[in-house]
Amino acid sequence: MHSSRPQEAAGFNRPLLLSPGQDLRGYVFDRLGRSFLFFITFLSVVAVLLIFFFIIREASGFLAGPYVKQFFSSTHWYPESREHPEYGVLAILGGSAYVTLVAMLVAVPVGLFSAVWLSDVASFRVRQIIKPVIEILAAIPSVAFGFFAVLVLAPWMQTRFGFDTGTNILNAGVILAVMALPTIISVAEDSMSAVGMEIREAAYGLGSTRAEAMIRVVIPAAHSGIIAAVILGVMRAVGETMVVWMASGNATQIPSPWWDLSKSVRTMTATIAGDMGETVQGSVHYQALFSIGILLLVFTFGLNLISEHLLARVRRKKEA
Amino acid sequence: MKFRIFPREFRDKCFTASCMFSVCLMVFILVVVLFPMMARGLKAVFFQGTNEFREMQLVVFGHGDAERIQRENGEIEEARAFVYEAANRFRRGIDTEHLADEVRGAYRDYGSYLRAAGISGERYSAQRARAKDLRDALLDAFESRDKEYVQSRLQCVLQSRADPDFGGTPIEAYFETAESYSRIAASVDLSRREQYAEAFGEVREALHKLFGPGPGEPAPALTMDQYGATRWDAVERELHRLLWSEDWVETEPGRPMVKETRARREFFAGTELEPVFDYVETNLEKLFQPRFTFYWRYFMDGSTDGHYFGGCGPEILGTLALTFFSMLFAIPLGIISAAFLVECTGDNIAVRVIRTCINTLAGVPSIVFGLFGMAFFVLFLFPVIGEFGHGTLGIFSAEAADKLTKPNILAASLTLGLLVLPVIIRASEEAIRAVPINYKEAALALGAGQFRSFMTVILPAAAPGIFTGIILSLSRAAGETAPILFTGAIAFGPVPDSILEPTRALSYGSYDIAVGDRLAMLVPHKQYGMVMTLVALVLTLNIIAIWIRSRSSRKLRGL
Amino acid sequence: MTEYQSQELSLDGADASFLRRPARAVENAARDTTAESGEAGSVIRSKDFTLFYGKTIGVKDITMDIYARTVTAIIGPSGCGKSTFLRSINRMNDLIPNIRTEGFLTVNGQNVYDKRVNLVNLRQQVGMVFQKPNPFAKSIYDNVAYGPRLQGVHSRSELDSIVEECLHSAFLWDEVKDDLRKSALALSGGQQQRLCIARALATQPRALLMDEPCSALDPIATARIEELIAQLRNRYTIVIVTHNMQQAARVSEHTAFFCLGELIEYDLTSRFFTNPSNKQTEDYITGRFG
Repeated sequence: MHSSRPQEAAGFNRPLLLSPGQDLRGYVFDRLGRSFLFFITFLSVVAVLLIFFFIIREASGFLAGPYVKQFFSSTHWYPESREHPEYGVLAILGGSAYVTLVAMLVAVPVGLFSAVWLSDVASFRVRQIIKPVIEILAAIPSVAFGFFAVLVLAPWMQTRFGFDTGTNILNAGVILAVMALPTIISVAEDSMSAVGMEIREAAYGLGSTRAEAMIRVVIPAAHSGIIAAVILGVMRAVGETMVVWMASGNATQIPSPWWDLSKSVRTMTATIAGDMGETVQGSVHYQALFSIGILLLVFTFGLNLISEHLLARVRRKKEA
Repeated sequence: MKFRIFPREFRDKCFTASCMFSVCLMVFILVVVLFPMMARGLKAVFFQGTNEFREMQLVVFGHGDAERIQRENGEIEEARAFVYEAANRFRRGIDTEHLADEVRGAYRDYGSYLRAAGISGERYSAQRARAKDLRDALLDAFESRDKEYVQSRLQCVLQSRADPDFGGTPIEAYFETAESYSRIAASVDLSRREQYAEAFGEVREALHKLFGPGPGEPAPALTMDQYGATRWDAVERELHRLLWSEDWVETEPGRPMVKETRARREFFAGTELEPVFDYVETNLEKLFQPRFTFYWRYFMDGSTDGHYFGGCGPEILGTLALTFFSMLFAIPLGIISAAFLVECTGDNIAVRVIRTCINTLAGVPSIVFGLFGMAFFVLFLFPVIGEFGHGTLGIFSAEAADKLTKPNILAASLTLGLLVLPVIIRASEEAIRAVPINYKEAALALGAGQFRSFMTVILPAAAPGIFTGIILSLSRAAGETAPILFTGAIAFGPVPDSILEPTRALSYGSYDIAVGDRLAMLVPHKQYGMVMTLVALVLTLNIIAIWIRSRSSRKLRGL
Repeated sequence: MTEYQSQELSLDGADASFLRRPARAVENAARDTTAESGEAGSVIRSKDFTLFYGKTIGVKDITMDIYARTVTAIIGPSGCGKSTFLRSINRMNDLIPNIRTEGFLTVNGQNVYDKRVNLVNLRQQVGMVFQKPNPFAKSIYDNVAYGPRLQGVHSRSELDSIVEECLHSAFLWDEVKDDLRKSALALSGGQQQRLCIARALATQPRALLMDEPCSALDPIATARIEELIAQLRNRYTIVIVTHNMQQAARVSEHTAFFCLGELIEYDLTSRFFTNPSNKQTEDYITGRFG
């Protein structure tokens, strides 16, 4: 058939119009296919709704019960006490805040400096080496970091600094900082790269040094992405379970004096992970743990919306 | 001018230095975290294994060359016999309670011996009385701290040696006991007997840790006590404990205690035990026959209590199963969602909602996924399905329906799958978007429909990117612990034979072995081995992903 | 061959004057849009064809006939809508969201913007070669065999013969016959473009649209492509968009000049370059603007 190609090439031998049957079939298949794909994609939405629904459902008994006021006003968490169970979440919130704060105090400067280095200082070749390092750092499972915190860092801290316990705010905070670093670096670097060469050239052209160009021009221009980076880092630190469970010491207390980072604390995630195994399904304690889950969920959801908004701004800048 | 420039340049240098420092710090942290974990973890796989190790492998796991191990054990038992004999002799000297029991027992046996021999009446009483005298003499000797007195009482006993009445009776043992004890009493400072007894207890413990239970001892209940030092580093540690005693002594009142290390050899100087220390120290190789061992079965073997012996086979298997089933769920969903997001839609409200939800899903803390997995799959969905399948349709057995109501692999996999779904969607979407538009144009211009062009051109071109995303999410799923805490992970248990049973997993195992398990604290190489396996698995996957990405990016550039 | 010659003769002859007045040609065409292509000799006809990207106009009121088995060149300054028009012919513009068309654009008498158009058949029969060579990241063989496979040709021997024939037609066979399994991306730019042409030929098109096929190539590769076009001209209806006037003069029989989305002049190439009837055209070809 193909050998006779030149002779055949004269006319159009295939119909350019669809027959009504083809037309209908095409329409139906197209619709079916699209709805199928849409349905599959919509499962993500369903999953999010289910997560909210089921966490709230399991916690609803508690939130409607008599302990709600105490939940938000007390620092005492004695759920297993027989006579006077107490469900105050404040100390636990404080614990999360402490480790997150310490983590951010370490991770934000280190992360931002590293991002600057990657976006503006490093040569292409070195960057090709450092990027996989960051990826590998991001890939190490959290339980491995927790393992390191408990078996290596904690004894070292105890002997080196003479702390009462090696598993404390500082330990958990430092490890969380390491875990948040890759997120902060990559998002911050993206937003700094999105700022574009022209602005940099303008700054250098006016006689700025690199530090001045970065601090006065590039970083302000990239501020939304950098804030998003920090927010994502906070989300990572707040939501992390295994490290804080293993490394924060799990003592439900607010450290006193308040600046003593060698005290143990207990975070929201660690409370859920640690207590869930000991509760009875449907008990007040069980529902209280799900209430903590709601706090976590709402908190990260809010941060997520903010960061998404900020990153959308970065993306627009990149396209423009 | 110089004064104006200088601080600015200085600040600039400082800034650059801080940047350098931060990056170096990060690399340093990576090395500090990874290196000890990997180095110590490798010790679980590469080490000098002793015969105890080989025997344990043979008995507990059924691996190894039985004949060879038997031959080795023969040699080793010969070598160890000296130690046990010396220890036994020494024990006779200090552990007089034990000797006294023996002597009393022999006296009772003598009574029944006489009755069995048909001796009764007066003769019976007389002979028993004489035996009783001997017994008391021996007991006196055992109890006394005075060497002279001991020897005299023992001579007393030995005088009756020739007495034909005792020949061939249980009393005959008295003479041997007396003889050996007189020899021991001559060498041992009897006044230090309590100290010796205590120190000897430690020596015996150290010997047990080195050699395992001695000949004739009953097998201990725990597997970990049934074998001696299985590794050369353990041998060295226990040898130190055998050769040196460590005591906390108070030098002055009120001052902190000081650790004092003393050689046991000196402590036991002049006793039967003295040569043992030199003997063990110099013949260590002969006593253990250490060989370099590549214990590759570490990745396949099960483990005894507290991971004291064995490997992490069930954990690896569990992690692979969890990862596999979660991917089975997440990969098709992820790729289809990505295809939809890229190919089928513009920018309408539905797409924006879907995107926000995917981002939300990516931001939900992993422990909340765990809570959700428990509340939804384990407590709600599966019981309903089980009830429906068993009660209404009758396709499930009651057992399966029951298993569905408990944490199991399926629930954990689905939870993990949900966790990595946004990762796969984002990676796939990015990969599909990265395919140049002119690929699609070319395919369409050749008469391919939208579906055809996607399947035959865009998907293959995006495949490396999608594959990279899948591998990264694989490693994420393998490393996550919190989502499987309540949905299907256990610290100990049999290897599951269906996906309706809970399983061990490397991630949860790493947690448990680090903080949950008391026995595991005794075997740090096992702790590190587990986490090394997990980290190695995850990093290998990541390095493969990085490699594929760099290769495909080169390929797209036509190199 | 004879048919082709006679057609050219007729174009050169008495009736050729209408070419200078495209409006009348379209009047003729409009009378019978479903007329057999052979009758008027035109395969692709457009009448008052207008295309909007959202609210901006891509091309406006294009009215022209493109004749069977000739090479038609479309020239014009960049952004004048010449590519847009070309891509409208086989509806490649569908990829761009929010496009809207008015007027007629017919291929073989069929309005291609009809809702019931069989896009697969249309694009198979109106092949396209793009500005940048865009071979798939597959082997050379699979690239050429892509179209036939879509059409359901799976027999090994048949595919082999198609691939060989098309590569021969594209003057590529001798260069790649030993490593057909090699990735197409490893070829040079000129080879890649010829591969793309071979790939387009493999679907047995009736017309071939070329969107600045040489703009990404060096002069030697360009010469080979032009040679190839010269070989293909009597078998296929070829429409070539080019920014290079010399190229248009070399390869085409007819030339159309687009400016700001409008068709300014459409004529025989020989007349177009020697005796343009429009001031703008003259300015453009003499290099006064564009």
